[in-house]
Order: sequence, then structure tokens, then C-alpha cells
Amino acid sequence: MITKAILAKEKAIIPYVTAGLPDLDTTGEILKALDEAGAAAIEIGVPFSDPMADGPVLQKASHAALQAGFCMDGLLSRMSTWSASVKAPLIVMSYINPIMRRGIRHTLKSFRENGVQGVILPDMPLDGRDVYELCRDSGLDLIRLVAPTTPLPRQKEVISQCSGFVYAVTVKGVTGARASLPVEVRQQVSNIKSFTDLPVCTGFGVSDAGQVKDMLTFADGVIVGSYLMAKIMDSSQPVQAARDAFTALLN
Amino acid sequence: MKGYFGEFGGQYVPETLLPALVELEEAFAAASADKGFWEEFHGYMKDYVGRPTPLTHVKRLSEHLGIEVWLKREDLNHTGSHKINNALGQILLAARMNKKRIIAETGAGQHGVAAATACALFGLTCAVYMGSEDIERQMMNVERMRLLGAEVVPVTSGSATLKDATSEAIRDWVTNVDTTYYLIGSAIGPHPYPTIVREFQKIIGIESRQQIREKTGRLPDAVIACVGGGSNAIGIFSGFRDDPVELIGVEAYGDGKERHGASINFGVPGVLHGTRSFLLQDSDGQVIETHSISAGLDYPGVGPEHSFLSASKRARYELVDDRRALAAFKLLNRLEGIAPALESAHAVGYLEQYARDHQGAVVVVNLSGRGDKDLHTVLKEMS
Repeated sequence: MITKAILAKEKAIIPYVTAGLPDLDTTGEILKALDEAGAAAIEIGVPFSDPMADGPVLQKASHAALQAGFCMDGLLSRMSTWSASVKAPLIVMSYINPIMRRGIRHTLKSFRENGVQGVILPDMPLDGRDVYELCRDSGLDLIRLVAPTTPLPRQKEVISQCSGFVYAVTVKGVTGARASLPVEVRQQVSNIKSFTDLPVCTGFGVSDAGQVKDMLTFADGVIVGSYLMAKIMDSSQPVQAARDAFTALLN
Repeated sequence: MKGYFGEFGGQYVPETLLPALVELEEAFAAASADKGFWEEFHGYMKDYVGRPTPLTHVKRLSEHLGIEVWLKREDLNHTGSHKINNALGQILLAARMNKKRIIAETGAGQHGVAAATACALFGLTCAVYMGSEDIERQMMNVERMRLLGAEVVPVTSGSATLKDATSEAIRDWVTNVDTTYYLIGSAIGPHPYPTIVREFQKIIGIESRQQIREKTGRLPDAVIACVGGGSNAIGIFSGFRDDPVELIGVEAYGDGKERHGASINFGVPGVLHGTRSFLLQDSDGQVIETHSISAGLDYPGVGPEHSFLSASKRARYELVDDRRALAAFKLLNRLEGIAPALESAHAVGYLEQYARDHQGAVVVVNLSGRGDKDLHTVLKEMS
């Protein structure tokens, strides 16, 4: 269970890994390494041809994974092995089109049957109720994003259709490491916490151990994507690179 | 449902952008209800753009085909295409919203030039995202945008064409949402954009309907327009929606086999750039790279209202490939002394097929833009 897994960790870091980079077998190895290194939960990113919420690093990762032959069947066929081989709950992050293409109900059900525990959809339709109910019926947590621009009534609506944890987007912008993060994040997290018991995790822009430490003084967890994927892509030994980068953030 | 055309449309965007879409929707509703806003818009249309554009009876082409062809001359607008109607309309809206920085995407460069022009006129900062492949094939428009004071930002990701330029413009918007107005150029994107663009392009249809009735005393049998994202088509169709007039969109069939931009003919519904519409995608939901000789039709999606018009059978969507578009480009030059944009040449290129079964029919074709920008491409193809 995602909520429990996050609350159980003293330092809850949720790494994001683009699936299929450099190939799906290596992705499986990376997941194991991150799990052993102490990940609270792990986000598995489904590559998409047009990732409009992503900055240069995750765009590049997505593109490279597709070039390397990523396909959804390949992902699904490995997912149950992966989920059985790690303690951390697995969360799928995908743009909505690859999920809709095979039928949203069917795809969510396949995820759950293969051990996935939650999904994050960065381009949810305005009214997310249908998707929320489909997730709930399949036994998946739907993790919703709250942005710095989200007005209070909308925050309440979004969080009422959210489970697992609330994903507080720290910056106005796309994913990608930033040298500094806005000071308003602390207030944003405390606002969200005032009307939900779900853990609140921050993501977008996290780039070093200092930021992680700082975030964890007020957030229940931190999501790290671009920083980690840049290290993975830069290395000829991606599994070791993932382990080292994650360990450095934790300590 | 709000923001949908039947099952198409909607708002599939990062959460950060939703408040900006709400703000835009409210601003547009307020502007639409304001008579003064439309007076200002029509003032610019008349005295700056040069509207109404003529409806030209092209006699030699008509004789050649055995049908009566009228061209709606959007090529005669200031900046050379219909794009200026929407660019000026949205800039007036942006001014009401007190936005000082404008961003836009462009394929052929026609919308980029229109946006840069409107920004120069209103003293606004302008950045235009353009695929690096398009920059190469539309250098003249790139230089024009720069002269107008706009920054042209090359986009090298993906296929480096309109689709990627649009994604990059959206990324800029998410990052600078407080200060920036996203001036989208086609009837695509999340609600309320497809509606806003249609409302500013509707002027084409309203004028055409009045002109054809004045000149022929009747309504046409068909109205024909090319469809990439579909702004010129939705504009002219809007004037004839409630009439017994056949509405025909023409999609780019590229090489006539594998690589094309014919989303309605060959796509399945999917979500791209915030809207649900017919989309060229593979069985995994990955968007397929498209091809058309005309940069403006080189787009894997299509405006959601066109998907609705097709699904509800109010309009039909035909195919014209690169070769037929080029032939039409040459034919219109030779017979009428008019060089159409390669986009518009697709609509002209469909006439021969239409004429086979409709001898004597009266048709209005939207000549959405002029072809000077395409000379380089055409000469290269002919050599």
C-alpha cells in the first residue's frame, strides 16, 4: 500500500524511472537496485512521443526508450516479475493517450493484475471523476497533482479524487532539475495538509541532497526524476549509476 | 459536456495550466458579449487586414473542370493568409487580459508571421516556436518574423515540425503562465481554443455566404477547404453549417501511401496537445510522424470540431497527395495567375475529382493563403 510505504520511511524518496531505457531488462535491474537502496515507492514512466509536461531530460529519456523499441506489451509482460521482486510499491506514470489507446478500463486492470499499485496521469481530463472511479474499481491508487497555480476549490476537488499520496508540483513549469526551488512550496504543502490526511510528496525540479533534506522537513516524501534519469543516461553502467545517485540523495 | 464537440475536445492539460484556461474562457466570454470588442475587431479587419476579401470567379479553371469555381481570396489578406484574422482577434483578447508576452507555434510560418505582425502592431513581446525542419523549408517567413521583431525559437525534438513546436510552446506556457498569452494558430488545443479560433475565423464563412448569394443569387453546392489543424476550414464551414451545402475538408495525403497528415481518414481518437480528436497514432498510443509537402498540413491531429463534423456526417474529408497539390499549384498559376499556398493547393487539387461526378455544380474553395513562401519547395520538386 502506497500511503503506508511512504509513512513508514523516515526519509521517503520516490525515484522515477523511464521504462525501457536502455532496455526493459535493465529497467528491472534498476528497480531492484533502487528498492535495495531504500526507495519508498518507485514511479515507472511510460515513454510517450509527445511528453508536454516534461523538460529536456525526460523528453530525451522518453525518445530514447521509444527508439530502443519500448512497447506496452513488453512492459506488461515484465511488470508482475518486477512487482514480485521489490518491496517498494510500483506506480505507473503515463500520459493519458497510451492508456486510452488500449481502453482505459482494460489497461488499468492489466496494471493492477500485474502488481502495480498506483497511477499518475499528468494530463488528466478536467473532470477526473470517471478515471478516479475506474482506478478505485481496479484497486489502484490514483495519485493526483496539485500545482502552485491550482486554486483552493480545485485543490479540494482534485484531492477528493486522489489516493496513495498527493503530488505537490513545486514549480510552475515542466519536469527537470533546478538549482533552487520556490520558497512558497512549504506554504503550499501546509495548505494541502490542512484538508487531507493523505501524505503529501513534492516533485518537479529536485536536484540535490540538500533540497531533499529541506523538502522532507515539511513534506512526507520527495519525487526525483530528471536528476536520476540524467545520471542513468550519462553512465555506461546504468544500474550502478541509479543506485549511487539515489544513495547520494538519501544521505 | 462543456468544452466538447460530441465526444471530441476537452481539456487534457497539466494541472498548472487549468487556471489559465479558465481565465481565458472567462475573458473570451466577456469579450464576446461586448459589442465594442467586435467593433474593434471588425475595424482592424477592414482597415488593417483589408477585408472583406474578394470572392473571385475563376473562369478558365471553371471551364477546364466543367464546374463553376469561386475562390475565397484569403491570400489577399495582409500577411498573405487567413491566419491574421485569428492572430489579431486573440491579440485584442490578450490586450484585454493585460498580457504583455505572446508565444505562438507555427508550421509553414503563416501563423508565426501573423502573430509577429499583430504583436508589432500592439507593441508586445513575441516568441514563435518553429520546428527546425520547417525553419529550413520556410526561410522567407522566418526572416519576416525576425524583421517584425519576434524571436523565432527552433525546436529540434521529435520530428522537428508543427507538432513539436506546439509541444514546446505549451512547455513555455506552463513555465511562464502568469505573464504569457499562448496565441494558438489553429482550431486545435484544449478548450476554449478551438472555439475561440473558430469565432475569429468565422468571418470567412459569413463573407463568403453573402458574396456567393450576391454574385450568383444562390448558395453553392459545396464548400471546400484544406484541413491541417483546420482553422481556415472551420472558418468557412461556419458560414454554411445550417444550409443545404456540402462541406468538404481536404486532408494532406503526403506520399499517398504511408506518410501523410490525414488524421480523420486514417487516425483513431486520441489525446494530443490537450484535446481529444482523430489522431495518427500506433497501436501503443504513440503519435506517428507525419509528412506533407506543405508544412501547414504536416500535423498528426486535427481540430476536435472537425472530428465531430466527420463523425456526425455533416462534413466529409477527402484526400489529396503531394503530387496532386503540386499539379494544382501549377494549374492555378497558369490558368488564373494566382499562386496558392501549398496548403490551399490541396483544396484546389480536389476539384478535379469532385468535378467528375458534379458537372455544372457551383463550389466555393477557400484559398487560405498565397504561395510565394512555397516557391522554393515547388522549384525543388519540379527540378
